[in-house]
Amino acid sequence: MLQLDHVEARYGSFKALEEVSMSVEQGELVVLLGANGAGKSTLFNTLSGLLKPSAGKIALNGRDVTGLKPSALVAAGVVQCPEGRKLFPEMSVLKNLMLGAYVHRRDKAGIRQTLEQVLSLFPILDEKKDEAAGSLSGGQQQMVAIGRAMMGRPTLLLLDEPSLGLAPLVVKQMFETIKGINEQGTTVLLAEQNAFAALKIAHRAYVIENGRLVMEGDKDTMLGNEEIRRAYIGA
Amino acid sequence: MDLFFQQVLNGLTLGSIYGLVALGLTLVYGILHVPNFAHGAIYMVGAYVSYLTMVDLGYNYWVAMACAAAAVAALSVLCERLVFNPLRDAPPIHDKIAAIGIMMFLEAAVQMQWGAEFRRMPTPYTDIFNIAGLTIPAQRVLIIMGAFSLMAVLHLFLKKTMTGATIVAMAQNREGAFLVGIDANRVAMMTFAISGALAAVGATLFAPINLVYPSMGHLLIMKAFVIIILGGMGSIPGAIVGGLIIGFTEAFGGFYISTDYKDIIAFALLVVILSVKPTGLFTKGVR
Repeated sequence: MLQLDHVEARYGSFKALEEVSMSVEQGELVVLLGANGAGKSTLFNTLSGLLKPSAGKIALNGRDVTGLKPSALVAAGVVQCPEGRKLFPEMSVLKNLMLGAYVHRRDKAGIRQTLEQVLSLFPILDEKKDEAAGSLSGGQQQMVAIGRAMMGRPTLLLLDEPSLGLAPLVVKQMFETIKGINEQGTTVLLAEQNAFAALKIAHRAYVIENGRLVMEGDKDTMLGNEEIRRAYIGA
Repeated sequence: MDLFFQQVLNGLTLGSIYGLVALGLTLVYGILHVPNFAHGAIYMVGAYVSYLTMVDLGYNYWVAMACAAAAVAALSVLCERLVFNPLRDAPPIHDKIAAIGIMMFLEAAVQMQWGAEFRRMPTPYTDIFNIAGLTIPAQRVLIIMGAFSLMAVLHLFLKKTMTGATIVAMAQNREGAFLVGIDANRVAMMTFAISGALAAVGATLFAPINLVYPSMGHLLIMKAFVIIILGGMGSIPGAIVGGLIIGFTEAFGGFYISTDYKDIIAFALLVVILSVKPTGLFTKGVR
C-alpha cells in the first residue's frame, strides 16, 4: 500500500535520507531498525508531510502523495504517533483523543465508536480521561499518543519509538498492543531501537544507517542475521 | 471610601479594555510566536471603522461595532496572508520588522485619508447612574460588561468547540497539531481574525470615553505588551489578569500618586514583577 521510490530528504544542505526505496503491503507490520540519528524519524516525518522530500516519489495505494501537507496525509489515512509523543499536555486525555479524530470531526457517530475501541484497548485511559495528559506517567502518555493516532482511523499507522523511556514491563505490554492493533487490520510501520522485541511481532524489517536502507528481510532472516544480532540486539 | 470605589470602577474599565486587547496579542503570540506590533494600529483602524459607520453613514452603535469587528478581522487575516505567512520560515526578526511596517502603513494610510485630528465618538449611552454615592456612567458599565462577556464567549469557544480546540492544540504542541491533521493556515487565519475582532470591539467600547486619532494605539500596544509579558506570553488567563492588574494600578496610582505618572506606572510595575518573577505570572501557556 505504501511505496517509496528513491526518496531523498534534506535539512539545509545535509542529506538526511538518500535513495530510500521501500514498500509496505496491506496488513503488514514492518519494522524499521536503526540507531539514534540514522534517519528513522526523518523518514517518518517525510511520510507524514512535516518534511518535504527533496527528490523521489511516495505513493499510497497507487496514488502519488509526494509533498502533500500533513493534514492531507492524515485525511488519506497516514497517521503518525511521533517520538516524544507530542501530546497537548494541558488538555485532558479525552480532549487529546478527540483531537486525534479531527479529520473525521463531522462523523460524530464514527468518532464515538472509535473512542470506545481505543478506550477498550487502553482501559486505564477511561479512568484518567479527565486528567491533563501531561500529568500522566510515561507509559500512560504513550497510550494516549497511540490512542490519539488510532482516533484518526489510520490505514497506515507510523509508530516512532513507542517503547522509548518506558519500564520493561510496560514495553512488553506496548508491543502486545501494537501486535493487536496490526492483527485487527491496521498496517503498521514501526521504528524501534528495541530490535528484538520489535522483530518478534513483525512480518518484515528494514535497517537504516546514515539515511540509507542497508538491509531488508523477513522476521526470521533478520532475527538470525549475525550483523543484526551484534548491532541491534546485543547477543 | 466613595473615591476608593470610584477608582475600583475606573480600574475595572481600563483593565477590561486592556485585557481584551492583550488577549488578541497573546493568542497570536501563542500560536505563531509573532509579537504583533501592528495590533495597536489594528485597534485604531477598528475605532475609525466604528466612527465612520456611526458618524458618516449614520448607523447605530451596535451595527458600527459589528462592522468594525468584521472589517478588522478581515484586515488582520489579510495581514496574515500577505505578510506573516510568507515570512513563516524567515528568521524571527523579519516578523517583528514586518509588524512594525504594518503599523506604520496603517497609521499613515488612516492619517492620509481622514487626517490627524482628534475625533470624539458619540455613544447612545450617555446616562449617568448614581448608586450609593458612586458616579457610574453607562458607557463604563457597557465597557465592563461587554469586555467580560466577550472574554467568556472566547473562553467557551476555546474550551468547548472542536474549532477552538485546534487553536489551543496548536499553541500547546505545533507538531502534534499537524500530526492529527490540523491545518496550520486555517488556524493562523482564524487566530488573526479573532484577535482583530477583539481589538475592534475593544476600540468601539473604549472610544466614546477616549478620543479617536491615528496614533491612539501607541500607548495601548505598549501596555498590552507589558500585560502579556506580565501574564506570561501566550497565556489567556495571564492576559486577563495582567490587564486587570495594569488597569487597577493605573487607576489607583493615578489617583493616589499623580495622574501625570499614570502611564509610567504600568512600566514600573513591569520592572518590579519581572525582577521578582522573571517568567511572568502565568507561564504554562494557553489553557
